Amino acid sequence: MPDPLSTTFAALADPTRRAILARLALGETSVTELAEPFEMSLPAVSKHLKVLERAGLIARGREAQWRPCRISPDGLRPVDDWLESYRRLWNERLDRLETYLQELQAKDKAGTEKKRGPKR
Amino acid sequence: MVGMRVLDAPRALVFDMWSDPKHLAQWWGPDGFTTTTSTFDLRPGGVWRFVMHGPDGRDYQNRIVFEEVVRPERIVYRHGGAEDVEPVQFRTTVTFEDLGGKTRLTLHARFPSPEERDRVIRDYGADKGMAQTLSRLADYLASIG
Repeated sequence: MPDPLSTTFAALADPTRRAILARLALGETSVTELAEPFEMSLPAVSKHLKVLERAGLIARGREAQWRPCRISPDGLRPVDDWLESYRRLWNERLDRLETYLQELQAKDKAGTEKKRGPKR
Repeated sequence: MVGMRVLDAPRALVFDMWSDPKHLAQWWGPDGFTTTTSTFDLRPGGVWRFVMHGPDGRDYQNRIVFEEVVRPERIVYRHGGAEDVEPVQFRTTVTFEDLGGKTRLTLHARFPSPEERDRVIRDYGADKGMAQTLSRLADYLASIG
């Protein structure tokens, strides 16, 4: 069994499934309606939906005739958490880069009275 | 997008911060880490190999492959290799934008997509990148959260 994050990413690693998610982010809909813009057979769309459902990214109603699909935002939380660690890392990096640049430029100004600067 | 910052420095200088391991060592590692570079070749296909030394004494091997280098505008790189433990490989695009003396630095992570992506984009008009979709979904998350 792959870990949950891998399952989620595998489900997202397909443009059609991402497009389906993007559509569902706008509101719930039926499989038939969902299939329309994709010019795909219903079974093909169902296959994609199953992958998304298994990854916890969508949920489907149990009503016999029309089984509305809706997005399950919680399914994206692992991805968001995973990304958050990178956002944090990058924010720290950018803080350090900012400080370092300030130091460099201050040193540069102090060291030479001559105008330097790659100003454009 | 994983990060954006307006830096009070000219673009050429900010780009320099990325193109010299001496500069990179000053800011790259996470807080408390130091970075030692063994190979650095900033050009398409070039590799940057470095070790991040953690505060606990642990070493973290890193490998970055540059895919696109457009001085002083853009750097695209892929992090990690086959031996990497991360479940997903992703590409980062770093953009340097000249704001007249200041520089806007933007970091964009893009996820790998299967080969049929181009075809599907053409056929379905699904030209929304992963990052875009994700950020929209993240907005959605926030709005209902």
